[in-house]
Amino acid sequence: MPYWLEAVLDSFPYLLSGTLVTLEITVLAIFLGLLIGTFVGMARLSKKRWINTPATVYVEFIRGTPLLVQIFIIYFGLPSLGIYIERFPAGILALGINSGAYVAEIVRAGIQSVSKGQYEAARSLGLSHWQAMRYVVLPQAFRNILPALGNEFITLTKDSSLVSVIAIEELLRRGTIAISRTFQSFSVYSAVALLYFVMTFSLSRLVRWTEKRLEIP
Amino acid sequence: MSFLLEVEDLWKSFGDLQVLKGVNMKLKSGEVLVVVGPSGGGKSTFLRCINHLEVPDRGRIVFDGEEVREDKNINQIRSKIGMVFQQFNLFPHLTVLENLVLAPVKVKSINEEEATKKAKRLLERVGLSEKVEAYPSQLSGGQQQRVAIARALMMDPKLMLFDEPTSALDPELVAEVLEVMKSLATDGMTMIVVTHEMGFAKEVANKVCFMDSGIIVEEAPPETFFSSPENPRTKEFLSKILGV
Repeated sequence: MPYWLEAVLDSFPYLLSGTLVTLEITVLAIFLGLLIGTFVGMARLSKKRWINTPATVYVEFIRGTPLLVQIFIIYFGLPSLGIYIERFPAGILALGINSGAYVAEIVRAGIQSVSKGQYEAARSLGLSHWQAMRYVVLPQAFRNILPALGNEFITLTKDSSLVSVIAIEELLRRGTIAISRTFQSFSVYSAVALLYFVMTFSLSRLVRWTEKRLEIP
Repeated sequence: MSFLLEVEDLWKSFGDLQVLKGVNMKLKSGEVLVVVGPSGGGKSTFLRCINHLEVPDRGRIVFDGEEVREDKNINQIRSKIGMVFQQFNLFPHLTVLENLVLAPVKVKSINEEEATKKAKRLLERVGLSEKVEAYPSQLSGGQQQRVAIARALMMDPKLMLFDEPTSALDPELVAEVLEVMKSLATDGMTMIVVTHEMGFAKEVANKVCFMDSGIIVEEAPPETFFSSPENPRTKEFLSKILGV
């Protein structure tokens, strides 16, 4: 067996458990991003200044600065203000906050894609603003934006590799460690790339499947 | 006798466009008022002000003894005023049954089972019992509008507002919707109907009013309204629309 293949096979279980870490980080960050993005997206559409201005500042600032810098601020920067966050939650927080800004823009477009008559019909029946959003507008908006959200989730999966810089042992970090043992950078990094691809491809299938399942007849 | 709905000096503008210029109207329980007039005359805006889908700039609306105001319990007032839209506005992601059951369960906290029974009863009334599990997109326009009427009736409204309910329908589907509206009127429902269906106005209305340029120009019982309108603008409108 050539050494490059042996190196990959030997490191494979190690890389695979790194894949699980990446998955865990990504899934948690996706949920955090969805939660933030949904509320910020709605806030962006509010007529009240004190609600939409902070939302706009958040979206513009996060989109306008590098994710890597955001990770550094949260993990290395906050401790100097007396706020200490463990590396794992810090990584998830940074990714979730970052993704939230993009999700917010997607959600905003999604809400705008639902005709105003839907909201009015709901309100005319006596539903409150929140009930109208919860039961009528958002379920339709989410169907419309599912492909765009899928895109964002795939981006997030790949961006999660950036948290390797704060020494979280996810897939990329483990790849780098495996290479320091085997010196087979091409083959091991290729294996790492393949594992990312398996994740993103499965994710895009999952999104397609959800789209089909939720399709309105 | 006291009035179910009193509208006093209602004003509304959109930017520079003054749409309502002091509308006054009184309606007793059980009356059917049909509002006619040229488009852009303020009919829809007037209707939408009554349940505050548009917030009026000035004026007073008293419904069922309570002043309609944004800061008071607007949701509770709205739940007593049914509204039917030109574009139906059924919720496309919910089945017909779910469309009907949503508001009673969420707003009035009626239990699901009871609401379902009631929904089935109302769907039977509008002739759509077999469409309980259908989605709105699987129905014709006329069927959708009948579901929309049933959905509004689920809240036991004291007043029903119809905003050009047949204008978006193919001609052959108009009759089935008007039929349901007639039967509602016969059962004593208080209704305000914005429509171009003069036949409906003649047959069902207690009062017909002509609205143009943001005011009610003329109001009369249908017999007098159609045979001997007083205002020249009413005359002109009627001659255009009736072709006489």
